Amino acid sequence: MNKPAAGLGIAPRASVVSWIHHHRQAASNSLLRALRLPVATGLTWLVVGIALALPASLLVILQNIEAVTHDMRSPARFSVLLEADTSLNAAEEILKRIESRVDVRDVTLIPQDQALARFAADTGLVGLLDSIPDNPLPHTLLVNPLASVESEGLSDLAQGLKAVRGVDQVVFDTLWQARLAGVLQAGRRLVMGIGLLMMMGAVLILANTIRLAIEARRDEIVVIKLIGANDAYARRPFLYTGLWSGFGGGLLGAIMVGIFFIYLSEPVNQLLQLYSSDRRFTGLGIMGVLNMMFLGGALGLLSAWHAATTQLRELEPR
Amino acid sequence: MIEFNRVSKRYVDHDALRDVSLTIGTGEMVFLTGHSGAGKTTFLRLLMLLERASMGSLRVDGRDTARIKGRNIGRYRGEFGIVFQDHQLLYDRSVLENVALPLEIAGFRPRDIQRRTRAALDKVGLLGREKANPAVLSGGEQQRLGIARAVVARPRFLIADEPTGNLDPQLSAEIMGLFEAFNRVGVTVIVASHDLALISRLRHRIVTLKAGRLVAGAGQ
Repeated sequence: MNKPAAGLGIAPRASVVSWIHHHRQAASNSLLRALRLPVATGLTWLVVGIALALPASLLVILQNIEAVTHDMRSPARFSVLLEADTSLNAAEEILKRIESRVDVRDVTLIPQDQALARFAADTGLVGLLDSIPDNPLPHTLLVNPLASVESEGLSDLAQGLKAVRGVDQVVFDTLWQARLAGVLQAGRRLVMGIGLLMMMGAVLILANTIRLAIEARRDEIVVIKLIGANDAYARRPFLYTGLWSGFGGGLLGAIMVGIFFIYLSEPVNQLLQLYSSDRRFTGLGIMGVLNMMFLGGALGLLSAWHAATTQLRELEPR
Repeated sequence: MIEFNRVSKRYVDHDALRDVSLTIGTGEMVFLTGHSGAGKTTFLRLLMLLERASMGSLRVDGRDTARIKGRNIGRYRGEFGIVFQDHQLLYDRSVLENVALPLEIAGFRPRDIQRRTRAALDKVGLLGREKANPAVLSGGEQQRLGIARAVVARPRFLIADEPTGNLDPQLSAEIMGLFEAFNRVGVTVIVASHDLALISRLRHRIVTLKAGRLVAGAGQ
């Protein structure tokens, strides 16, 4: 028997330098391996790209609609019709009382004479209205709430205005705005739902790609586990494969959205011009492209983590 | 030190090892021999924790291997260098990358990996072939490459399962010479081989298994 050699034995495991080195190596090798199989890689990227491009396109359209409709929305304003027998002085008193509310920005009084004159001018019924002995229109207050007052606050304000003595009627037409908000909300949810379904599809496709990649390298994995690799070491290259597939898919998806945007922008811009809008159809932008790539990368990483963890656990040397 | 204490391994249809008790000292070189099916491979598989004993205990340097579980198995296996009859090389990596693998797994620094890998290749006579693909090497060279990979991380135990099975007598002697060289620097070497003519020429303990039972070589 020979004497044991001094200093033999394994070195301290996984120094940070070595860990970083292995990550760099796994990242570059995975990318090179993917690029060496352009058809298979391209198809994976394409499938992921389509899965991301569809909801992203819908989101771009929705954001454009929201921007256009935002321009169309007039600021909220109440028309407060005073009781018919209210004098001008009393109307001014009511104006002051309403103006003192914390949720009101300003109030304008339209005296009943001025209201009738404007109505006559707008309708061209000057002669006819001259023949009416009494002015049928009441004094009216136009109440502009503070911009910060949202829908519930507006309802409270309407109730408060109605409760003021001398006020006959409060007119505030919010129905069309509520309808529009409802349509946009439903649109957002639809996009989210489609997006989630498509992302689930992308995750399943990526996970399957990783499973196939692991299966193709089964012998190699068995050997490296036999010579001491743990699951984390064996899993690392596949995590990068997932990451690159997701990144590539995200990039391809962004390109698809870009092409779709170019195809759509000209007629949409013409339509906007017809509505005298200064808006222009806007695409993803740089941040949108980066978001799609990062989302793709995150999905790829998630899929790879799940697929590799479950499969490598079962893949033990025999 | 490796201690098999009344170890048995039972499969569904047969007993691969029966009541084997054996101690292999630190720095010792032992040949494990017997006919096909005698239990040599099962013996090594138990040692590498590829299988678990059905009965008895197996201790390595005082550690009960039955208690080594999960992520510690990889670390435990890292203490062994293993040489296969069919080499088990990775043919999508170069000679250098194959040898470097245990060092990467063990967490050596890149510059140490380069240095140690070249040193290991030098020891087995493959320095200068670092960039070659293992597939272009001859059978003997592939086996030497397998040995370089097994010893590069300076394991405490070197295990070889029929390492000369596919080699001619001259190459076989060369490979055995390499094992002896590593044993001389303190590595515990266990070689499973049925080539009695070859191993009997070397002056090391021969442990003989027959139908799963230890029939010779139990004492040190």
